[in-house]
Amino acid sequence: MEPRSQRHPLQEMRRLQHQMEHLFAGLTPALRWPLTGEFPPINFTRKDDGLTLEAMCPGIDRGTLDVTVVGDVVTIRGQRTEEADAAPARYHRRERPTGTFMRAVSLEERLNPDSAEATYRNGILRVRLARAPEVTPKKIAIKS
Amino acid sequence: MATTTSSAPSTTTREPAEPAVPTLIPAVDIYETESQFVLLADMPGVAADGVEVLTERDTLIVRGRAERQLPEPDYQEFEFGEYRRTFLITEDLDADSISAKLADGVLRVEIQKSDRLKPKKIPVHAE
Repeated sequence: MEPRSQRHPLQEMRRLQHQMEHLFAGLTPALRWPLTGEFPPINFTRKDDGLTLEAMCPGIDRGTLDVTVVGDVVTIRGQRTEEADAAPARYHRRERPTGTFMRAVSLEERLNPDSAEATYRNGILRVRLARAPEVTPKKIAIKS
Repeated sequence: MATTTSSAPSTTTREPAEPAVPTLIPAVDIYETESQFVLLADMPGVAADGVEVLTERDTLIVRGRAERQLPEPDYQEFEFGEYRRTFLITEDLDADSISAKLADGVLRVEIQKSDRLKPKKIPVHAE
């Protein structure tokens, strides 16, 4: 059995939704984002030393990208504008939405806002987060 | 220019041991200015050395590989994989004039219109 089937049902639903999206991409492109529900789509990884959140948001105007951390919530804001020469142009296909977006994600662990770091590379926003000191797991030395 | 393919259902059985790289269809805009056609394709996660733009007779192929940088995520809404999409280049376009660049996960391909399509100003002679 594939390991994928062991994932959380909600995640499995997301995966199916993505497959649907791909199926429909050529037919009803305008429906792509509404199908996913929220933008940008995110992945996150938990490790002992912290959490990393990735958001898929290509072509965002760098100056508008904004990441804030409050408590256990990471909020991402940004804007994608049209290409300068596209304004008077005639569109044959338009699947890439433009405009502003905002997404707040609760990671259900108190975070340390002072040590958050974000990079934006190849259209992927990557935010490295540390847990708040009071919830950081402490390794207890075992005395012999 | 028109899209020619979308995801075709696979008829082969998947090997469970070797998970296939997901094929992703990039969202595109295609627009036309006075002198050229512009194709914008969202390919987040693709680095400049991982993208290819090819022409094969009357077909334009864009593809790119987005590699996952982190271990398997604990929560996942998007996948990394192989972007691929093909387009038909009609004779109204000059296939020799294609240029492409990639910035922040967006591929921009410019194709000049053939001279036949470009607007021409006809001089009017006064009598």
